[in-house]
Amino acid sequence: MKAFGEIWRSNLFQKWLMAITGLLLVLFLLGHLSGNLLVFLGPAHLNEYAHGLRTMGHGAVLWGARLGLLAFFILHVSSAITLSRRNRQARPQKYVKVEARSSTLASRTMLYSGLLLISYVLYHLAHFTWGAVHSQHYAQVSYILPSGEVVPDVYTMVVKSFSEPLIVILYLLSMVMVGLHLNHAISSAFQTMGVTNRRIMPLVRVGGPALSVIIALGFSAVPLAIILGFVKI
Amino acid sequence: MNLRLHIWRQAGPNDMGMLKTYDIANVSEHMSFLEMLDVLNEGLIAKGEIPVAFDHDCREGICGTCGMVINGRPHGPVARTTACQLHMRTFKDGDEIYIEPWRAKAFPVLRDLVVDRGSFDRIIQKGGYVSVNTGNAQDGNATPISKPDADRAMDAAACIGCGACVAACPNSSAMLFTAAKVGHLASLPQGQAERSSRAMEMVLQMDAEGFGSCTNHYECEAACPKGISAEFIAQMNRDFVTSALGGKA
Repeated sequence: MKAFGEIWRSNLFQKWLMAITGLLLVLFLLGHLSGNLLVFLGPAHLNEYAHGLRTMGHGAVLWGARLGLLAFFILHVSSAITLSRRNRQARPQKYVKVEARSSTLASRTMLYSGLLLISYVLYHLAHFTWGAVHSQHYAQVSYILPSGEVVPDVYTMVVKSFSEPLIVILYLLSMVMVGLHLNHAISSAFQTMGVTNRRIMPLVRVGGPALSVIIALGFSAVPLAIILGFVKI
Repeated sequence: MNLRLHIWRQAGPNDMGMLKTYDIANVSEHMSFLEMLDVLNEGLIAKGEIPVAFDHDCREGICGTCGMVINGRPHGPVARTTACQLHMRTFKDGDEIYIEPWRAKAFPVLRDLVVDRGSFDRIIQKGGYVSVNTGNAQDGNATPISKPDADRAMDAAACIGCGACVAACPNSSAMLFTAAKVGHLASLPQGQAERSSRAMEMVLQMDAEGFGSCTNHYECEAACPKGISAEFIAQMNRDFVTSALGGKA
């Protein structure tokens, strides 16, 4: 019987780690997206949802989710670094001429799109969670829920932020990066986890990229709708 | 037709190699790619130069011995074709052709276009076998195997171990080769006894040999002269994690 450490260090186990944590992060993105789209229902819905997230289980749910996400993120990135390093070492001498047949721009640039996403996540947290950048828009305004509770006005913060063209451009570019990364990531994760077989492989190879487009467009809809004036304070 | 060839020349495993350019005239379109190299070598020998070393054996596309990267593609531009079955009619007069050996840390160059594929043998030794009873061979129909299972096993067993998957993979990963061997035996009742340990042992040996990991580009599938499907990689991934969680291997 192999020791767990030997299995843990193997390429295939590291790939499993990357795939599972990646898919969990995609599940988070889908939840995040459905919350974001509440902006189209108006301030009451979005602010109540945001307040609900913060107070659910006296904040324990929020912190549990944050710690979980951080763990998935760290495992995802560390396995990516380990595997990329080994993959580079596996071909010390490059070809003079290479003609790709089936790899795509997305699949060949996973490391780079991933690295750009790390910087985006830090910027995004600094913007909406820490209030460290664009702090002039950070929720100083309060909102009174229909229940009478006074909560931070997330809606106004979002609308004010995305009324600045520079911020909108930064977010839209980042969503292109999210779409590019997920374009390869989702179907790739299913393949790595061995879920695919002859019957569902075609579905996975089409469904993964399709879901990546839906996620990227869904997230882009909010800043676009605000800067184009469809969603106002 | 007249061609300009850029061929990787390397005297030995520890020598520096480089691309050398050769012009070759009057190549017949009916020649196979290896026959074209034979003609080149005849000319080099006549001039007192050292001929280009390359691996070849059956020249029928079934042994898996030949293999070289032709214009950036393992076994050349035609799908499901080995270098020996590639014909010069694929090219046209005046073409420039780049010929390089398989590139992988686990496939060190021995000379020119010849690489050491002993790493594949060591992966096979780790699990490419089944337990059989000694004594008389059992009756051929004693173990019923369904047609779909037999077909699936044959699809995987079509692997000739040429190494084109490794050569095509941007990570020099041997996943398609190893998965074909694992998938072949996993599809048959005879392969079930060692199924769990086989996936684990062969995967770990693949790492030990210095092959990279799979990033699901499917370049291997596109380059495979036998058209082995990447679905076998998914199956090996399943068997590997079953083994890891089950603690059997």
